[in-house]
Amino acid sequence: MIEGSLSNRIRALRFHNGEMSQAELGERIGVTRQTIAAIESGKYAPSLEAAFRIAHVFKVPLGEVFQWKPKTTR
Amino acid sequence: MPYREKTAWLSLIAMAVTFGPYFIIMAVEARPGALPGLRQLGLFAAAAILQALILGLGHLYLRRSSPEDARIPPDERDRAILNRSLRFAYSVLMVGMIVVGCVMPFNSSGWAIINAALLAIIAAEVVHHGVIVSSYRGQS
Repeated sequence: MIEGSLSNRIRALRFHNGEMSQAELGERIGVTRQTIAAIESGKYAPSLEAAFRIAHVFKVPLGEVFQWKPKTTR
Repeated sequence: MPYREKTAWLSLIAMAVTFGPYFIIMAVEARPGALPGLRQLGLFAAAAILQALILGLGHLYLRRSSPEDARIPPDERDRAILNRSLRFAYSVLMVGMIVVGCVMPFNSSGWAIINAALLAIIAAEVVHHGVIVSSYRGQS
C-alpha cells in the first residue's frame, strides 16, 4: 500500500469566506464544531461525502480543500 | 470538550467510585463461605443503585449545562468513535464470558463466578468509554 499524508486548507478557506466559524461550517455540512476542528487539525479524515460537502460550501473543487501527498521512498 | 466525551467521562467516574470499591471489598473480604450471600447481594445492590444515581444526576447536569450540545445527533465522527469503542469492548466481553462460562465452572462456584461475570462486564464498559475518551482526545 502506498503510504501518504492528508492535509487540508479549511482554515484558509474559512478565512477567505468571511471568517466563517467552525460551528457555521459544521452546521452547513451536518457535523459538530468539534468534528470540523478535528478535520482541520488532521486528527480526523472525513468521509468522502463530507469532504464533497465542505468543497461545495466553499464553491471550490475537492482538490483545493484536501491534498494527499504520497511518502517518497528511496 | 464534545458532549459525548463528557458523558463517557461521567460513566468512567461513576464506575470508578461504585464498582471500584465493590471489587476491592470483594478481593479483600470474599473467601468461600466467609460472607453470606445476602451481604454480597447488598453490596452489589448498593453499587448498582449508586451508579444509577450518579449517572442520572450527571446526565441531568450535563443536559442542563449544555442543552444545545445534548440535542445535536451524533455525526459521522461520533459514530466512527462509537463503533470503534464497541469493537474493543466486545472483544473484552467475549474473553471475559469465555473465562466465566467455560473455565470457571470447573474450579469455582457461586459468587466467584457472578463477580467474575460482573468484572468482565465492567471491564468491557471501561474499555468502551475509555476508547471513546481517548479517541476524542487524540487521533480518531
